[in-house]
Amino acid sequence: MVSIVGCGLTKLDRYYELSEKDLVSEAYKQLITKIKEYDQPDIVIVSSGYIDVLGKNILSSYKISSGLGLQNTKVMRIENGDNGGASIFTAYSFIKSGVAKKVLLIGIEKFSDYPSKYVNEYLSYNLDNDYTYHVGITPHAYSALLMKKYMKKYNVDYEYFTKWPIKMHQNASENPLAYLKFKVDKNTVVNSQIVSDPLRIFDVGARADGASVVLVTADEVAKRYFDSPVKIDGIVGNIGAMNLSDPSLPSVAKARNELGDLPKRDVVYEIHDSYSIMAALEIEELKLAERGKGLDVVDSLDINLSGGLKARGYIGGGTAIYQLGEVFLHLTNQFKGKSANAEKGIILSNDDLGNTSYLAVLSR
Amino acid sequence: MKISPSTSWRLKDTLYRLALGKCKKCGNIKFPYQKICEVCGSLDVEKIFSKGTGSLVDYTILYQARDGFEKQSPMIVGLVRLDEGVDIVAPITDAEPSKLKEGVRVEAVFRRMRNDSYNGLIQYGIKFRVVLDAGNN
Ligand SMILES: [Zn+2]
Repeated sequence: MVSIVGCGLTKLDRYYELSEKDLVSEAYKQLITKIKEYDQPDIVIVSSGYIDVLGKNILSSYKISSGLGLQNTKVMRIENGDNGGASIFTAYSFIKSGVAKKVLLIGIEKFSDYPSKYVNEYLSYNLDNDYTYHVGITPHAYSALLMKKYMKKYNVDYEYFTKWPIKMHQNASENPLAYLKFKVDKNTVVNSQIVSDPLRIFDVGARADGASVVLVTADEVAKRYFDSPVKIDGIVGNIGAMNLSDPSLPSVAKARNELGDLPKRDVVYEIHDSYSIMAALEIEELKLAERGKGLDVVDSLDINLSGGLKARGYIGGGTAIYQLGEVFLHLTNQFKGKSANAEKGIILSNDDLGNTSYLAVLSR
Repeated sequence: MKISPSTSWRLKDTLYRLALGKCKKCGNIKFPYQKICEVCGSLDVEKIFSKGTGSLVDYTILYQARDGFEKQSPMIVGLVRLDEGVDIVAPITDAEPSKLKEGVRVEAVFRRMRNDSYNGLIQYGIKFRVVLDAGNN
């Protein structure tokens, strides 16, 4: 019903010379040089978390679309925390309903224009703005508290969490588009800077600049653009407050329940590892590992072969669109990094603390 | 302009008095107060005020300050279980991190949060401190 026919991904990096519009243009150029036929999309969806507050852009969907030379289309931006999954869900729904035949998904974020204390300020807009935001707390503190609870409940020490960054950096070192293309050892992680005890810098997704464009079409027109399109089998989503008192992510659990058992073989996963603790909980909520053992399975699954938010880099609300492009490349044997010989791809997209989640299933 | 007088005024019950929403249908208690129960959707939610006492379930020391909170860095952020039975994440003040312990009694105190250098507005709010005579009551 719904197919992906092409994508364009910029390398994630710090781009002091390029604007959001420039980055999207770079990704778009890749897309239109790879597809067989070029025509304008019926709808453009811009997925971005912070393009208004960091980039001083309202009406970003119009500005970006006109920057791509689009003349006849409908445009919108979707903001759902750091959850680009909502944008994928919207594109999927437009096509499945017949409202559109071609939707251009654009993921964009630019974090490097401001120092981290300002970026932390805007990321804290994700917290409740009746109390928590006003008293100076950041999502990092929540993540640290979540980590402490997990450590107590499952009797694991900090070393348990080092498995994630070590694996992610190893994967990123093979990915030419990754932001942090270097390997790290346990010693480096354990001795890295403390952000909010016990959370260290290597437990936090690496904020970067970057863009992704993905062209999604109805099946009947897909082959006009690409000979072996990838199908979006379905996308589900749900909400539920992250549980700090008994570490868990109800929104992920509910979304996963809609899909039933998820495969462990012949599948490539991309999950939202905003923090190492989030990776652990997400893997457990997806029932890919037992409770308290989420990070013990990182070597036995094809998960975040890109290097994840941790090392490929993190582009806020553009993240899931980037992951969608990566999984498309895996399923069409075009992924340049560590590749998976997979039949299916599954993307878990949630905000950094997992209050709202989407799960998309793709297949060759 | 970072601080809005009307926002501060509107939030005075939450920021200065820890207003909670108590659902008369399912009994759920929510902080910050909201008019509709987050658990059962009931519209019958009563606004009650926390006594401001509770215990420290856990805490972290946050080293990355946000814009405007530099002077409060590093900030101790606690998971506080209010005596009304609600867990809230809040700053802990007047404390030596080395002397903090899980389970210690805490109480709400009124503190300055940040000021707006543009127009001199000050945002106040609630933090928590360790109750010094804990154990005597
Ligand atoms: Zn209720």
